[in-house]
Amino acid sequence: MTIRAPVIEITAAQKMFGSFQALSDINLSIEQGEIVTLLGPSGCGKTTLMRLLAGFEAVTAGTIRIDGKDCAGQPPERRPVNMVFQRYALFPHLDVFENVAFGLKVKGTPKAEIRERVQRMLHIVQLDSFANRYINELSGGQSQRVALARALVNGPKVLLLDEPLAALDLKIRQHMLVEMKRIHAETGATFVYVTHDQDEAMILSDRVVLMEKGRIVQVDRPETMYAAPKSLFAAKFLGETNLFEAAMASDDASGMTAVTGSGLRFHSSIVPAGELRGKAIVSIRPESFRFNRDNDTTQSATGQVEDVIFIGSRSFYTICLADGVRARVQVQRSTRTSLPKPGEKAEIFWDSENVVILPGS
Amino acid sequence: MVLKLVVWAILAFLLMPLVIIVLFSFHASPSLSFPFAGFSLRWYAEVLGNAQLGSALVKSLTVACFTALITLILGAAASLAWLRLGHRGRALLEVLCLTPIALPGLFVGVSLLVLFAQARIQLSTATIVISHVVLALPILIVAMRARLALFDPSLEEASRDLGASQMQTFGKVTLPLIAPTLIASAILAFAVSFDEFVVTSFVAGTETTLPMYIWSMMRRTVTPLINAISTLALVFSVAILFIAWLIGHLRRRSAVAGRTVS
Repeated sequence: MTIRAPVIEITAAQKMFGSFQALSDINLSIEQGEIVTLLGPSGCGKTTLMRLLAGFEAVTAGTIRIDGKDCAGQPPERRPVNMVFQRYALFPHLDVFENVAFGLKVKGTPKAEIRERVQRMLHIVQLDSFANRYINELSGGQSQRVALARALVNGPKVLLLDEPLAALDLKIRQHMLVEMKRIHAETGATFVYVTHDQDEAMILSDRVVLMEKGRIVQVDRPETMYAAPKSLFAAKFLGETNLFEAAMASDDASGMTAVTGSGLRFHSSIVPAGELRGKAIVSIRPESFRFNRDNDTTQSATGQVEDVIFIGSRSFYTICLADGVRARVQVQRSTRTSLPKPGEKAEIFWDSENVVILPGS
Repeated sequence: MVLKLVVWAILAFLLMPLVIIVLFSFHASPSLSFPFAGFSLRWYAEVLGNAQLGSALVKSLTVACFTALITLILGAAASLAWLRLGHRGRALLEVLCLTPIALPGLFVGVSLLVLFAQARIQLSTATIVISHVVLALPILIVAMRARLALFDPSLEEASRDLGASQMQTFGKVTLPLIAPTLIASAILAFAVSFDEFVVTSFVAGTETTLPMYIWSMMRRTVTPLINAISTLALVFSVAILFIAWLIGHLRRRSAVAGRTVS
């Protein structure tokens, strides 16, 4: 186990563009060697936050410390961070070798060392034989690797990645995610990764920083954030979920209970983020519903199957539980158990550790 | 089929004058019409032997070179500003640049003449150059605009991010990338200046440029000399384009070769 020290510390950071508040009250600490994703819809401020770290923008208030040093007034070229740009921003007048060597050259690194380091980096990104290619002769995936190599060859304390896979098609994207993890393991750099894609965030990250309207709404490990979202926004943004409007009924040692207008009771054993009173919203993931009863299952509801969508390994059921109350149920394909058909009555079951109760509006 | 014919007709319409001028510049007789009486270099010999024509040509080349150089420097500065301007700034610059292009040459010539007189500037080669810069700069900015719009500002950010200072970024990224545009624009400015006539005739004073000399020559009689001069001008412009292409080509090859050998 390596010693972990915060490599980035953001304290009470704010950013204004004119009268528009792009970021407010940002507090975040990132440790050496972590992969942290800044996740959120477009316009949530995640790219602005990354540009603050890179030095392209300055904070309006608050401090950013990189590697222990306050970097206020420090221009991008003097910061121990490097960035992978969304559209790569590779230099079209230079070939692959010169692109990767650019950072070392401007720092006056000896020629022999440049050759060695560039070649080693090209080897890591598996582009050994592409050194003399021009940028317009590369595919999207190859350009992506050059962009990674060009940033990582400088040995940055932090690698900033601004939606690096957004311009690639789905298949290459999945392949590059695996590559990214391997390169992270080989270089040991800290990755700060901006994306609006929840799948990328969940596959890559040690921690996810979820942002909305210029604020950080939740920082957690991806599994935790998926299982226990702290807000309606988090529940909806990460994965698919069923939402039921309800009212708080009881709160005791075993957890909380909320009841919908139609009388459905949901009991949750997850400790809520804040105090819950009055109106509430119940969130349950489609895969948390089952058609078969477990030994200790206590919660269930009966309804009618409205619709079935079959997607190979999984099927999605829409169950009408009461007037206007529908549950989406995801089940794995199985040849053992018999599943209900459209129009039939069905009973669904769920467990209290999968019920999230959130404050209602 | 009809479309093909139309294309060929248009091409012929565009290229015929060129072919005829080049052909008759080698004509052995002073006649400017068919039948063709055989090849000779006599008009070229006469062009090269004509001292007045020579000095007018030198004057035009000097003016065109200075115009290209000054326009290039001003244009480069303007294009850097362009890259940093927002939408509104760009629109404003566009209006300011497009308006002079639409003005009649007559108007521009008179107003420049009045301006020089008011400022008590003696008409000379310098006033011709200034006038040509006034004409060429807006055309140049409009020509550069489309290509600069393709310039990706994140390239400059990438350069800074990789440790290059603002000056290094300009020298290693911005300038090499906009250089082809600037060179092409300079050639355009050269061309605008080289055959400018209307405005020049107002501000030239006692100076004579090549177009002015040819015009005065034509007033007396249409001579086959014109064909030889035009052909030389044509060869000259093609040569410049070829050299520009060659420089780009060689630079790229030497960059790759330099590394694989070392």
